[in-house]
Amino acid sequence: MTNEQKPRLAGVIDIGSSAIRMVVMQIEKNGEFRKVDRASKPIQFGRDVFIKKVIGRESINQAIRILNGFSELFAAWGIARDDVFVIATSAIREARNRDTFIDRVFIRTGFNVKIADGVEENHLTYLAVLHAIEGLRATFARSSNIIIEVGGGSTELMIMDKGKMVSAHLFRLGTLRLEHNWGGFEAGDALNKVPIVQSLMEQFRGTIAGVNAEYNLAKIKYFVMVGGDARTAALHCGQKKSEHYSIIKRQDFFDYLEKLASFTVEDCVRLLNVSYYEAESLLPALTIFGLFFRETAAEELVVPDVSIREGVLLRFALGSDSKQERQFHGQIFASALSLGRKYHFDEAHGLHVSTLSMVFFDSFSDQHGLGEKAQVLLQVAALLHDIGYFVRATGHHKHGQYLIQNSELFGLSIDELNLVGQIVRYHRSTRPLRDHAEFNALTQEQRVMVLKLTALLRVCDSLDRSHCQRIKDFSLAIKDDDILELTADFQGDISLERQALVAKSELFEDVFGYRIAFAGKN
Amino acid sequence: MAELSTSKDKKKYFFNRELSWIEFNRRVLAEAQDQEKPLLERLKFIAIVSSNFDEFFAIRVASIRRQYRNGNYIVCPTGLSPEKQLLEISKRINSIISEQYDCLLNEIMPGLNSHGLVFHTQGSFNEEQKEYLRIKFKADVFPVLTPVRFHAKNPAGIFGNLRLHIAFLLEKKTEEKTSASAADADNETTQIAIVQIPSSLKRIIFLPEQGEKLGYTFLETLICDHADDLFPGYLIKEHLIFRTTRDADVGVDESRDEDFVEALEKILCHRDLGNVVRLNVSKTSELLKSMIADSLGLEHYEIFEVEQPLDPSIFMEIASIKGYDHLKAESWRPVESIDFSEDVSIFDSIKEKDILLMQPYESFKPVVRLIEEAADDPEVLAIKMTLYRTSGDSPIVKALERAAQNGKHVTVLVELKARFDEARNISWAERLNAVGVVVIYGVVGLKVHAKALLIIRKENEGIRRYLHLSTGNYNDKTAKLYSDLSLFTSKEDFCYEAGQFFNAITGYSVIPVLGKLSMAPTVLKARLLQLIDREIQKSSVESPGLIIAKMNAVVDVDLINSLYIANQVNVQVILIIRGICLLVPGLAGKSENIRVFSILDRVLEHTRACYFKNGGLEEVYASSADWMPRNLDGRIELMFSIDDKDLKTRVKDMLFLQMADNAQSWELKSNGSYLRRTIEDSDEQIRSQEQLYHEAVNRNHRSGKSDRREFRVRRTSSD
Repeated sequence: MTNEQKPRLAGVIDIGSSAIRMVVMQIEKNGEFRKVDRASKPIQFGRDVFIKKVIGRESINQAIRILNGFSELFAAWGIARDDVFVIATSAIREARNRDTFIDRVFIRTGFNVKIADGVEENHLTYLAVLHAIEGLRATFARSSNIIIEVGGGSTELMIMDKGKMVSAHLFRLGTLRLEHNWGGFEAGDALNKVPIVQSLMEQFRGTIAGVNAEYNLAKIKYFVMVGGDARTAALHCGQKKSEHYSIIKRQDFFDYLEKLASFTVEDCVRLLNVSYYEAESLLPALTIFGLFFRETAAEELVVPDVSIREGVLLRFALGSDSKQERQFHGQIFASALSLGRKYHFDEAHGLHVSTLSMVFFDSFSDQHGLGEKAQVLLQVAALLHDIGYFVRATGHHKHGQYLIQNSELFGLSIDELNLVGQIVRYHRSTRPLRDHAEFNALTQEQRVMVLKLTALLRVCDSLDRSHCQRIKDFSLAIKDDDILELTADFQGDISLERQALVAKSELFEDVFGYRIAFAGKN
Repeated sequence: MAELSTSKDKKKYFFNRELSWIEFNRRVLAEAQDQEKPLLERLKFIAIVSSNFDEFFAIRVASIRRQYRNGNYIVCPTGLSPEKQLLEISKRINSIISEQYDCLLNEIMPGLNSHGLVFHTQGSFNEEQKEYLRIKFKADVFPVLTPVRFHAKNPAGIFGNLRLHIAFLLEKKTEEKTSASAADADNETTQIAIVQIPSSLKRIIFLPEQGEKLGYTFLETLICDHADDLFPGYLIKEHLIFRTTRDADVGVDESRDEDFVEALEKILCHRDLGNVVRLNVSKTSELLKSMIADSLGLEHYEIFEVEQPLDPSIFMEIASIKGYDHLKAESWRPVESIDFSEDVSIFDSIKEKDILLMQPYESFKPVVRLIEEAADDPEVLAIKMTLYRTSGDSPIVKALERAAQNGKHVTVLVELKARFDEARNISWAERLNAVGVVVIYGVVGLKVHAKALLIIRKENEGIRRYLHLSTGNYNDKTAKLYSDLSLFTSKEDFCYEAGQFFNAITGYSVIPVLGKLSMAPTVLKARLLQLIDREIQKSSVESPGLIIAKMNAVVDVDLINSLYIANQVNVQVILIIRGICLLVPGLAGKSENIRVFSILDRVLEHTRACYFKNGGLEEVYASSADWMPRNLDGRIELMFSIDDKDLKTRVKDMLFLQMADNAQSWELKSNGSYLRRTIEDSDEQIRSQEQLYHEAVNRNHRSGKSDRREFRVRRTSSD
């Protein structure tokens, strides 16, 4: 017990596309944490992967050397391997030889690299940012804001409207890819940069238009800029507002950007006190930030002094507390809602089925034995089960599956989106079958979960068959061992619902062994 | 910062580096010439003048000589060509040497003689001494001497660097000459033999003497006196005592990181093969002198003829001889700082407040104690430190060894390339490696000159770090002789940055952006320029800016130009520079607001510190770096700000005190000469080193502490 009370140390390594970075954090008794050490070394992963699709042998060996160095540092801090969390982002994620890489690293260094898929990266950034701007949280809840991180291989973007996540994206656009596309920001040639800024704008025009279609950027009041380049800018033209974040005034930012554009990479190194590899990405990254910033009404930029590494720490080392978890689930749901709206779904029906499914999930919890994550998947699947109507009514379950599996939902990994898609896929009459390749590709545990959640969704969907939300609420009671009595609180004619319930509870009976008996309560 | 003046103008604005250094050594000699000083103290300075010259030739002159041989290209900001520099260097050094010998032989030696310390040269021995020496030669010396025949074609290999040799011109005795004449060509009747004086024998030989006296002579005198025994059948026609100095430049291939240590070891073996850059000879044989000089390809200005004894640096041993306290300066025993209490853990002392040591007035022991306590402290996780020059049997190295054996994670950054200490460094570095210390042999292309020690401790409340930063080396021996500032702190921002610094220099990380610390070669110079520029911006006629900078040398042209600009806006600049200063003070319209002082006293001035008025928000910094390109561009250095109010005041007071020194201080004039500062009528004498020592004594006086302790008396209970 006393040991638990002592502050402990944890390490995080983040394998990015232009550098491998590490931090050592001290986790205090109250769950707060403090950075006590950090290190970073440049690496050419981005150049390798974005051009040749694979990580080169030289880079792998270099990474192993760097990681062994970090290993010595962790040893000096007395941190055990289990307390070091290693995450890899875009470059490794996209590398064709990523499995080989992970294996080589494990064998040579003992580090177990976890690859963050795109949306997970958003999640981690979100956690870190929220932690840093604690003081601004109330303000954020009242207005709209955007969180952007420009990395070497990807650009993350999250828009929150009155505290609700309305849009989350991870674009495969980053400072290193730009270099690849345009032959690089050549050292010593400031003049050349004008056309590059223009091509950047062209490249991003479509992206920005897409984001604008989802959410009008002009409504954004707070612009949160994340990442090393953002922090460098904050150091040079911003003001520190607290231990955890800085503010850059709109004009100061654009003045700085203009000044930067006239610098060569060598100037940056000499005049701005940054390392060479930092200098290379500074202008392209800030230019991309600038493109989005210009679209918004934000007066200032908020630059939190955090990175994905703090997110990793919050998520894996600290274990999220239930308040944070609930808040996070709320953001997933908000993001799903935003997706539904994008495809003009029947919002009232979706929300209602979702609510009913939550009632069912809660009251039936001792029977289904599923956890919180399954609950979120059901909630999202229930909300979006009819989204496929956007394409065509016939086969809408299949269209829905496609739309979901190819969209970005904040907080859900690709695997989880796949599960949501399959639940939607099976919400009508076809049952999941072993000869459905996608279903069969799931683990046994996942297959059971999909079956259970599909059964629940079918029941709840039938309870709003008319799309008129006539059944407001219900309660469940088990009678005679094999009968589940559903007592509904309703208004108006519910004959459609009753009929549908009979037709759609077959799977439920098979999965859970209960026949549903309807008991109206008008 | 570009200077708009023409190159012709520019020449007037800088002094030549080598000549400036020679002026420094002239000031060292002046200490020996000061008749107010005790005799053995004066003798010590005689020795220092010589050892200083040895290093100067091996490094600086060797370098200028290479410039000259490689095309006489001009790099000196004064526009003086290498050739002209070499001539001027020789001229000035000859004049200094002749003053040095004059002082040694005509003032100090007769003085010591009258106090019973008698130095004997040839022919001044009494019978008893002659007999003693004859036996000594037979028993101890003769067996280890190896005369070698001199070949003019390839002589270099036989002259050991900085070792004394004697050349003998031999002629066959007549009877043997005839018998051998058939075989020998006639010019073979004379030949030259070289005897290297063995380093295994002590050069100083103490002699039996009457009464209270202590007599001594030198080994080369003994060998010359008995040389006939070495060459039976030959007549010694002439002899010459000489000593060569070689180019000490270590051209180690930096790209060899796998076997860097080996590469360096190999070069150390070959240092004896560097080009000869200087020949010191006795005034005993014109013929031998020119033969040896010719064989080495030396120019006349590279030959220095002196009275005997050659190489007076040996007198350091006499100067520190036991007893004779009345001939020595009063000892300034380092005072234990009151900020470290013996009964309190050193970590608690540092945690309580930042602590500053002014060495050598205050003892270096807390630094050693910090490492020793860390080695045995169960809460300590790791120790990281830089080691540049340290003594061979250093207690620091021993403590680090023990720490590693106790399971601490010890990282030591060893600078193998510390000039003339390389061999010593390799040996203890390997010892540390053997016990599991992570030993990092420097940074490719850069010498690690920063002095930092970081201790990481896992306490109940969490991680706590303890940092020591200094202007001087982790060397308990030199810490008694050099003035330096030592800062102990556990402030989180300093310690975090120091951690970053270590991560970078040990290769774990890229060079970080730091705030409290400024690191060379990345930002230190830019930071200094910025600080000077800020002083320029804030200076006005009503409130002129003030910069006081103290260090060993000012060479960097950009920084000097920046000070000239500061001069234009009335910033008052005081430089307290021990050695080289390229800045020309006191030029109307250029540097009339700049004064340059140089303090030379018993303690070797080594502190690098500067003060900026900053419009009243005064700032004080200490640093491991001089304002020289070699430090700012070619070494890893650290400058740190002194933030604590009390400590800042102490350092500032020290700088102001040294600025006012009128006893051991010199002022640089615009013609390049130094004038000893004198007490003006109204002033009282200020000798800053003495005052600093007395302040240290007063400050650290533990009033009645020992009195408070009660006696605990053992008694039997039945009593």
